[in-house]
Amino acid sequence: MLELRHISKSFPGVRALDDVSLEFQAGEIHGLIGENGAGKSTAIKIVTGIYQPDAGEIVFDGKAIRFTDYRDSLAKGIGIVHQELHVIPDASVAENIMIDKLVTRGLGVVDWPATFRGAQKHLDLVGLDVPADRQVRGLSAARKQLIQIAKALSAEVKVLLLDEPTSSLTEHEARRLFELLRELRDKGVTIIFVSHKLDEGLGLCDRVSVLRDGKFVGTRRNPAARTQLSTKPQSDTRLRAAELVQMMIGRESNEAHLGMLSPDWNTEVLRVENIVRCDKAEGISFTLHRGEILGFYGLVGSGRTELARILIGEDTMDSGKLLVRGKVAEIHNVGQSLYQYGIGYVTENRKEEGLLLEDSVQTNLTMTIWPKLRHALSRRINPVAEAATATRCVDSMKIRTPNLFQRVKNLSGGNQQKVSIGKWLTADCDILIIDEPTVGVDVGAKEQIHQLIWDLAARQGKSIILISSDLPEIVRIVNRMLIFREHRVVGEVRDIDVKRKTYAEVSQEIAPYLE
Amino acid sequence: MTRTTNQTQFGFGRKDWVSGRTLGLIMFAGALMIAMSLASPNFLTQETFFSQSRYIAFYMLVAMSQAVCLAVGDLNLTVGAVGSITTVALGLLISPDHAHLSAWLAVPLVFLVGPLTGLLHGQIITRLKIDAFIVTLSMMFVYMGLRSGVSGGNSYTIPESFWWLGQGGIAGWMPYMVLIVLGILWAVSYMYSHTVVGRRLLATGSNSEAARLSGINTNRMIVVAHILAGGFAALAAIMWASWSGNAAPQTGDDWLIISFAVAIIGGTGLKGSLISPLGIFMGAIIFKLIQHSLVILKINDNFSNTLLGALILLAIIVDRAREHLEKSGQSKPA
Repeated sequence: MLELRHISKSFPGVRALDDVSLEFQAGEIHGLIGENGAGKSTAIKIVTGIYQPDAGEIVFDGKAIRFTDYRDSLAKGIGIVHQELHVIPDASVAENIMIDKLVTRGLGVVDWPATFRGAQKHLDLVGLDVPADRQVRGLSAARKQLIQIAKALSAEVKVLLLDEPTSSLTEHEARRLFELLRELRDKGVTIIFVSHKLDEGLGLCDRVSVLRDGKFVGTRRNPAARTQLSTKPQSDTRLRAAELVQMMIGRESNEAHLGMLSPDWNTEVLRVENIVRCDKAEGISFTLHRGEILGFYGLVGSGRTELARILIGEDTMDSGKLLVRGKVAEIHNVGQSLYQYGIGYVTENRKEEGLLLEDSVQTNLTMTIWPKLRHALSRRINPVAEAATATRCVDSMKIRTPNLFQRVKNLSGGNQQKVSIGKWLTADCDILIIDEPTVGVDVGAKEQIHQLIWDLAARQGKSIILISSDLPEIVRIVNRMLIFREHRVVGEVRDIDVKRKTYAEVSQEIAPYLE
Repeated sequence: MTRTTNQTQFGFGRKDWVSGRTLGLIMFAGALMIAMSLASPNFLTQETFFSQSRYIAFYMLVAMSQAVCLAVGDLNLTVGAVGSITTVALGLLISPDHAHLSAWLAVPLVFLVGPLTGLLHGQIITRLKIDAFIVTLSMMFVYMGLRSGVSGGNSYTIPESFWWLGQGGIAGWMPYMVLIVLGILWAVSYMYSHTVVGRRLLATGSNSEAARLSGINTNRMIVVAHILAGGFAALAAIMWASWSGNAAPQTGDDWLIISFAVAIIGGTGLKGSLISPLGIFMGAIIFKLIQHSLVILKINDNFSNTLLGALILLAIIVDRAREHLEKSGQSKPA
């Protein structure tokens, strides 16, 4: 039905897909799984014509085909629902669904009643109970996701790709989505379901293909999907899960904790008391100790990044108190948090908010300490000291770059991430808030970044807040974690390192908080 | 890995990219120069140098007024308008028919008009979060209306005692104007390469979100850029008035296009974080040479704007092509 044959695709610094062949059949739900950076997103962007492959071909309905762009692939019957919510908030539900096929009465005048009727048909299909003329703004994430699915279906696609569609859904909403997908499959639609969550792969998909580091690893049948209706894996699928995990990471699942940290529990470097900020933080309190790694776990939008931005002064708090090293701190901007309190924040979107992509590795690493590198009288930044600082950082963090003047945009994702952490280390920050450090980096680099973060706390006595939605990641490196939900801290798991708690134990422990 | 400090003096921001480009400009200017001296025998004379070098200095100031804003990612449409209100203010204070103040008192006062307008623009842009394009567009008309209303369209006389700045020079050979502007060019160059403020200005233009989240007060940088821009425009106006011997309110009407043309030919990035003082110097020379060749080729002066507009587009197209070639040349992993 749809086949990728020997597809390769490179970007500056990364080989995103390397000779990947995949084949999808009519009327199946095909899972495409792999870790962050495995090449899933690139693969579906090639199928939908957003990227052109460097080599290889796409065969669709028995013919080799080349999609010129997204509209072209849609016209040929391939629709996609992106992970991010691409809706037009100020337009109506109907307009969002029918945007590229508004019914007109000639001369480009829109026939609104007909458009609404058309939209309603697709709303019924996905079981979305919202008036077609309602504005999209203010609808829940799940409903927006369903609107996108309705939009993709309205093009009468033969192939529907879903990129991590459950990342913003609750479990109940996800289950409803799965029912819908099964109905579509039974009508003969090919569904390609991209995910990094194993449970979904096993509960829903007829077959599962695994990508790792841009390479195709294998495809496995999953007959259980037709018989069971829950999303929870059952006992007979346990074995398969282990097999898939091994395929995804290429070795035995490495959940072992990196080692015991020895925080100084008597030294509070950060104390947050009842921080409130309308719609962003609803009474959050916690403490951070010297040499501690504190995990912030929760879904996207649960208030972790919002809290971080308040702490560094990028956003203001309505009420609450912040103590840094025992003293009340009023932080109004990042400059103050950096130069006065030694708090650094590694942003979650390194490309948009963390790096000067067009600038050199050196500039990116030293921009936080320019004021300290200048001569007292001439105000000149000492170029030798600047290069030395950058070199030290590159060497100690093992940043792979041909030289200090390489533009950061040409580095691989993992090395970019190291640079965006490194700029806070050159500035000698004692407190680091690190937000989703391993999104979009390959597996090897992920390992290195974990080790790096752990070393910072264990060997240099830095205090670290690690924000992550990747539970195994948090379990591997933190000693304590807070669970965030709806802008509150709803629970805490202690002694993860001391008791060597495994991923399974922790996920069981936190389950009640997330229900 | 290499540990040399790759210090090129060709430009700041993306050094690798700017250097090659500036070399290209130097060669292009050289070629034009040779062609010109072949075409007109009295081109390489002391008189030509004394008059033309002052134009070049003047163009550099006007272009810098644009370039410092472009480097933080803002457009500045007030270059000429600030020049014209400065001119009118100068006329009012210095002209024998009006206040008739001493130049030593009046000129520094009038110069302040520029940085103050910049401060105003910067504050509006950063506090009210209005796009620089809109702010400078509106302020341009505000100033243009002011200068017409106040002056009534009449020029003011500049007393001869203040002609030295624009007309004098060392040994009839090196104009003061050129010396001053070259000094400023060097200072700007030093600022962008070696000072915290300069590098923060470039970082702001490169990615203002990332710069702010790295502890840089990007709002302050934007204000600084507009203050500098105002200062350069005011200085250009003062020099022009001294040179021409009168303060004409229509001064500045053609500065906007000049500022873009010279800055862009000179390699100032339209998306920020790329400025090359040497490039601006070469841009100004090339600009003057092209104007000169129009005279030699006897092309009607009224067409000059058409040519300037086309020239700006051409410079951008050439840069895009270069960038594209560069990109396709390095798609392999680092």
